[in-house]
Amino acid sequence: MNRVAMRLAWRQARGGRRHLAAVFACVALGVGALVAVGTLGAGLAATLAREAKALLGGDVELRAARPLPAEADAAVAELAAARVVRVRELVGMARGGARGDSLLVELKAPGPGYPLYGRLATAPAAPLASLLADDGAVVQRELLDRLGLAVGDRLVVGAVTLTIRGVVEAEPDRTASLVTLGPRVFVSPEALDHSGLITLGSRVRYRVLVGLPPEAGAGEIRASLARAVTDPGVRIAAYDEAQPGLRRFFTQLTSYLGLVGLASLLVGGIGVAASVSAFVARQVPTIAALKALGAETRTLIVTYVIQTQVVALGAGLVGAALGVAIQPLLGAALAGLVPFALELHPEPWMLARAIVMGLGVTLLCTWAPLASVRAVPAWLILRMDVEPAVWRPRARWTLVPVALGLAALALWQAGSLKTGAIFVGATAAALLGLLGLARGLALVARRLPRRRGLAWRHGLTALQRPGGHAPRVVVALGMAVMLLVAIALLQGVLGRQIDHEQHRQAPSFFFLDVQPDQREPFARLVERTAGIPPVLTPVVRGRLVAIDGERLTRAVVDRRKARGEEGAWYFTREYVLTWTDAPPAGNVLTHGRWWTAAEAAAGPRASVEEAAARHLGVDVGSRMTFDVQGVAVETEVTSIRRVDWQSLTTNFFVILSAGALDGAPATWVATARVPPSAEAALQNAVVAAFPNVTAVPVRDVLERVGAVLSDIAVAVRLVALFTLGTGLVVMIGALAATRSQRLYESVVLRTLGATRSVVARAFAVEYGLLGAAAGAGGGLLATVLAWVVARWVLEAPWTFDAAPVVVGVGATVALALAVGFLTTFRLLGQKPLPVLRRD
Amino acid sequence: MALVMIRVRDLVMRLASGGRTVTILDGVSLDVAAGEVVAVMGPSGSGKSTLLGLIAGLDTPSAGSITVGGIEVTGLGETALARFRRRTLGFVFQSYHLIPTLTAVENVAVPLELAGASRPLAAARSRLAEVGLAERADHYPAQLSGGEQQRVAIARAVALAPPLLLADEPTGNLDSATGAQIVDLLLGLNRERGSTLVLVTHDVTLASRAGRAIALRDGRVVNGQAA
Repeated sequence: MNRVAMRLAWRQARGGRRHLAAVFACVALGVGALVAVGTLGAGLAATLAREAKALLGGDVELRAARPLPAEADAAVAELAAARVVRVRELVGMARGGARGDSLLVELKAPGPGYPLYGRLATAPAAPLASLLADDGAVVQRELLDRLGLAVGDRLVVGAVTLTIRGVVEAEPDRTASLVTLGPRVFVSPEALDHSGLITLGSRVRYRVLVGLPPEAGAGEIRASLARAVTDPGVRIAAYDEAQPGLRRFFTQLTSYLGLVGLASLLVGGIGVAASVSAFVARQVPTIAALKALGAETRTLIVTYVIQTQVVALGAGLVGAALGVAIQPLLGAALAGLVPFALELHPEPWMLARAIVMGLGVTLLCTWAPLASVRAVPAWLILRMDVEPAVWRPRARWTLVPVALGLAALALWQAGSLKTGAIFVGATAAALLGLLGLARGLALVARRLPRRRGLAWRHGLTALQRPGGHAPRVVVALGMAVMLLVAIALLQGVLGRQIDHEQHRQAPSFFFLDVQPDQREPFARLVERTAGIPPVLTPVVRGRLVAIDGERLTRAVVDRRKARGEEGAWYFTREYVLTWTDAPPAGNVLTHGRWWTAAEAAAGPRASVEEAAARHLGVDVGSRMTFDVQGVAVETEVTSIRRVDWQSLTTNFFVILSAGALDGAPATWVATARVPPSAEAALQNAVVAAFPNVTAVPVRDVLERVGAVLSDIAVAVRLVALFTLGTGLVVMIGALAATRSQRLYESVVLRTLGATRSVVARAFAVEYGLLGAAAGAGGGLLATVLAWVVARWVLEAPWTFDAAPVVVGVGATVALALAVGFLTTFRLLGQKPLPVLRRD
Repeated sequence: MALVMIRVRDLVMRLASGGRTVTILDGVSLDVAAGEVVAVMGPSGSGKSTLLGLIAGLDTPSAGSITVGGIEVTGLGETALARFRRRTLGFVFQSYHLIPTLTAVENVAVPLELAGASRPLAAARSRLAEVGLAERADHYPAQLSGGEQQRVAIARAVALAPPLLLADEPTGNLDSATGAQIVDLLLGLNRERGSTLVLVTHDVTLASRAGRAIALRDGRVVNGQAA
């Protein structure tokens, strides 16, 4: 029987080329989106694995915010046959050029032997040590551009004047955090020592990079170092577990992108269902004839399943090729985020999975149309004029297994029950919403006044054309519009969140490391240059060494940290401590109360930010001990605070009572808000007068974050475009399916005296209304989706900008008109008589 | 009487139409012997085509029984009916019902393939030759004249040499000269194979060439004698 079905399938396909082409396009685009994302994810993972040693800088890295303790140096010295490179990194100010402009830079002073892995590319290509000798510097090109300098020019960093000897083009272990604060400047260890930037309280990252002989296991060495170095402030990592943050970011990015890809496959499923049901509807006489000739229903259904599955398989292969082919585009979009050449790494398993998803969605979406093959009665051949409603079954329950199957596929793609369930719920809600809208549109079309002329009347009634093309187009296009507009809305939400102009209270600058003796002259300089005095806050750096009397060794931190490496950070970081008499404005006490003057006099009290308290497991009454320059300061927690970090003002995890830090070596943090036009002048004046002070330009940093966000948005949009492509295929398919009706109508209208332009206008009304409905529905859903994502996923304050929605609706109308006319304009030129005679 | 090919007893068919029930066949009983040629006549709406369709098992009657070649048709399920049609009968329609996407020879091959015949296309070609269409075998239905299409349909109906051939107004869409040729063809095949032929027609000339005519009116048999 299957041989018969195969042969029938092959021959029957001739009658459905157009429908099968639509199936092909829908599946190809859907699979293409999945493969594009899957290949990107695999490529990122493979590249991270390949570059792991280069990214870490060695097989094992020790890093701390203070010079490494003696126990660490001793443990490293004991490693046999290990190559060791010491690197110091910090953020500071560089100044240069004729105008004396200044710039926040990321300084790096590597010792001899750097880099252990990967290649440091410089222009001119020369050993780094020779370029850095005698106060040389190698800088990123961005610095030259922004300060108007060239190789050979002078650059002042702190107390040293450097000569720029070259440009760094690639740096293997450039910190794989997504956002950098400024361009890189390489200097020699001696130059850094002379700069005067390394003083009490300066934020230096001390790194020891260890290169091991090939036979040594990095994991074991890491473990033995971790046992030997009890100080939890020394972070020890092996290359294969390096960059957990970057890994997590890429995993999340590809997981979200995967959902966008899945959405396009589901929209493709609508196209598949629509095309196959149009195909089957056209085949009803043939099906009845075949049944009358003795064909069994099973043979017929197998025939159509073979047909659609073969098409879906071919489409899957083409889609997979397409998904791999657009990798360079995705790679280019993410170039700013990935500090290395992205590997093209299509995994056979992933490709197979995407193709199987395409086959599965096709099978499920052809379920209902093929069920109607069963229902076609053989007697239909004797009474072809009988309305399908008489014999066609009510198909409501057949959709239940389809929905369940699609949900299962979605869970498989999402890889997590929770994400998958949210996706399935959201998709179902969106589908129902759009379907309801389409139904509503048909209802409204029926009620609208019909007096506006023939074209308007005809276009309106066309929306209720039998075959239900309107809901299909509205749902498919609406889904695509929803995704694209939601991306734009979310980009807007995040963009406004980091737009400096939106933060009226946010300072223009944070000035760090203002020394006690610089405090007065600094304040005078800022007031003279900017017209307003700076806000100065005293800070002391300290490390948390004990909680409730328990010393925080590495073992204790490993036991206490609840939330992985992110949680460990709260235990091991350098705390910037300050003291005040009253809670800072904008902070809200969530637990406990502020200390009284008497309590403060009785001993050090502390107020802890709520997230830090949660991670550290401290509450009101807990005792936290800080090591401040070798002196232990034991404090009692009296309150937990909520801090609005979005406010971008000076905020602290831990605030102590006045007097707690008496005698400790304080520096000052200053903030100042000046008009944008005055920013450069203020920064340059401060850096010129106080070379050790670091000026962090808030606007500039926010713009760097914004650049990263827009890179991500481009990548997401690229994947979402697959959905739009699929939506358009669905629309083309729907218009093609109604082609003969449309042709007949246009011919009848013209026979009755209508001009071509009247017919064209009637079509325009129909296409325009379809586009408007899809655009409006998609825009509305996009707003809901963006709000939900902003509120629950990004935890960003919701702000709404109507522009993306308006643009979305307008573009959808334009697109619907364009596609509609490209698909049907030939109908307008048909001569009426042959068409009428044929009927 | 020779072996009975078709036995119809008290056949009733009612259809719902526009909210009321129409009785199309109202207690029809008849017998057709193997090898007989029977014309079913009657005005439009007298139930001729419905009777033929029910004999072919294309629909289920409201009441009554139909036995074809000893098989109780009304008792068969969907799959068994398909098999029954394949093995027992060929059907020729007024409007041919060729499958538009298949060539003439492929149309004729369909029942052969469904029955699992070996080399179905070659067999289909020789059937087409028998109806004089060897030259047109690779044309699509749309490229054939009405008479040619009906000949393809006949070749398809007799492809498996069924013992019973049912023809529903086989000449209804054709001019009289072509219609006569088609009738010659049907009767010729019937003679050669010794099969049974039941044809529905309101063409008196055609009916006169049958061995017997059965007249239907308002769903009842009004005469059943030999012509």
